[in-house]
Amino acid sequence: MDTKDQDSQSQQYASEAMMPDNSMFPGVLELAAQDVTEIITPEGTVIEAAKTPLKKSPTPLQDSLRRLRRDKRAMVSLGFIIAFILIPIFGPFIYQHIGGPYNSPINGVVGPSLYHNPFHLESTRQDELPSAQYWLGTDSVGRDQLARLMQGMLISLTVALLVEMVDVGLGVTVGVLAGYYGGWIDQLLARFTDIMFAFPGLLFAILLTGIFGQEVDTSLANVPIIGPNGNARLALVSLALAFTAWPLMARYVRGQTLQLKEQQFVEAARTSGTNNTRIILRHIVPNLFSIVVVASTLNIAGTVIGEAGLSLLGLGVQQPGSSLGLMISDASSSLNVHPFEVLLPSIVLTIVVLAFSFLGDGLRDAFDPRSKD
Amino acid sequence: MVQFLIKRFIGLIFVIIGVTFITFIMGYFAPGDPIRGLLGNHFSLQLYNELRHSYGLDVPWYQQYWNYLVNLAHFNFGYSFKQQGYPVWNILAEGVPVSAELGFWALTIQVVVGVPLGIYSALKANTWIDTTNMGVMLILFSIPSFVLAVFFQVFIVWIDQSTGAGWPVAGWGNNWQYTWTDIQYKLGPILVLSAIGMAYFARLARTSMLEVLRQDYVRTARAKGMREQVVVYRHALRNALIPLVTVIGLSFGLIITGAFFIENIFNIPGIAQISISSITDRDYPVIQATVVLLAVAVVLGNLLSDILYTVVDPRIKIQ
Repeated sequence: MDTKDQDSQSQQYASEAMMPDNSMFPGVLELAAQDVTEIITPEGTVIEAAKTPLKKSPTPLQDSLRRLRRDKRAMVSLGFIIAFILIPIFGPFIYQHIGGPYNSPINGVVGPSLYHNPFHLESTRQDELPSAQYWLGTDSVGRDQLARLMQGMLISLTVALLVEMVDVGLGVTVGVLAGYYGGWIDQLLARFTDIMFAFPGLLFAILLTGIFGQEVDTSLANVPIIGPNGNARLALVSLALAFTAWPLMARYVRGQTLQLKEQQFVEAARTSGTNNTRIILRHIVPNLFSIVVVASTLNIAGTVIGEAGLSLLGLGVQQPGSSLGLMISDASSSLNVHPFEVLLPSIVLTIVVLAFSFLGDGLRDAFDPRSKD
Repeated sequence: MVQFLIKRFIGLIFVIIGVTFITFIMGYFAPGDPIRGLLGNHFSLQLYNELRHSYGLDVPWYQQYWNYLVNLAHFNFGYSFKQQGYPVWNILAEGVPVSAELGFWALTIQVVVGVPLGIYSALKANTWIDTTNMGVMLILFSIPSFVLAVFFQVFIVWIDQSTGAGWPVAGWGNNWQYTWTDIQYKLGPILVLSAIGMAYFARLARTSMLEVLRQDYVRTARAKGMREQVVVYRHALRNALIPLVTVIGLSFGLIITGAFFIENIFNIPGIAQISISSITDRDYPVIQATVVLLAVAVVLGNLLSDILYTVVDPRIKIQ
């Protein structure tokens, strides 16, 4: 609030960064640079510096990225997030080709494609610590922990992706319409968000997955990909989490749209006869980029927690499927004997959640330096 | 003030109607016939109809909803499906004191520990104390409560095994009693449940205090030569605490959602645990009752913090 005593220079800098109007400024500057070289060269007094075109000043986006790159915590978090995306996608293919044949007392001779499978049981190899065959040990029924961990991360990733698609799609659409046109859609959004904020989101998710979970399990069991391995309820989990997430996104977008709509470039567009649809698509939506990126990054942390939490309560992924939350609840009964089994998914979950929170914070600081106090 | 209260109260009624409608309609469309589930495979049609009538399921949905609301207004939550003829009220009566105690202590610790930590951090702004403190608070705020609970349990087990202290990992003592065994049971869940809110209060208290310390009247107070203690504790602190009041409502919500995981992991027989076990039993009246109860608690918490806000800050104009 109290920015009066700050020097005007930093204020100007900040307000420039707040207005991410990428399309206008660089063009103007380029034009100015050309003018300068054209004027000076014919006069004969050739100045070395003037000959080379003036250095392009960075666009606000480049400025933000530069600030982000300097933020060590955010960059480390980004590294973890990239690992979190790549490991569950490519990890299982590699891991299932590592290791020789294993002469199992129950299953006969099996290769790594089987014993490194997250659903395969080796009931004589329970609760093992890490070894050459099982890199992160086995769980209480003899399943490979690393394979289950990667499967669990894949589940988190899928749910996060699904939820963010709905969150961004619905949140931006409703938010822009409410902010730009106001009227009944704005009223409706306000009332709806009031109820959603009063009604704890998790409670709604628990209710939805709890009541319809078993039904969805049986009816979707034969659908390929999402049906088998107890993953059917993920559709319900994603739906519930997305439904509770988007009102917040819509509120952010609405606020930003209200600000943008009063800006001069929108006024200029309107004066030159641009219709509303085009103003929204070409002038408002591109400028929502930073706020949407920040809000959805922070929301992913909540979504990952939500999915793990619901699975932990027995309302998400079902056996024999794997999820970080399910791994925690499986192992927590034997916590006093095998603490490693419960610590493993807990630590991974902590890292993932912290990484998304830190990256979100870093992005916010990079896009809007004023937000830092 | 009266007008504001009436307005808020009307808003509250609308939210409660919304919440009860969502829970009712979900229970109504819930798959499976609860009466058939009750009776098993062999029953007479007459018995089926009688039971259906006694649960009030033979009338159209809008009438069912109306009856449901009327009953709620009389604090009558209906009868359990699982334990036939047993009032839901009695089931709730077992869990509510446990959850209330857990929530009460968690909220108390959040405020009593979190706020001073934040204020202290603000007074030591940008020193290593501030940085470490806020770093820890950020991590506490980000980590999900169930992961924190697991870390705590592993820690307790490790202490237990290395010292032979016999510290219980899960469970709950007697309600509102504090012998040494009760404290051993209750300390962990309460601390873990309070962690997120505590971090939230600390972060907000720091921001709020820094904001106030920048104000002109603080500078004036310092300029006229007041002692630093008086400036900080009489001028700054009081004003810094005002915005924190609004967060109490939000931390109420955090505690209630957090309780689901804490009661599950620490095996505490509270209302959240009852809610989850009734989901597996498909005992819809109990699910509805617990959800309505918790949602109303959150809404009331929000209302309370709004009212407190206008009480502690006379500058707020009530419309």
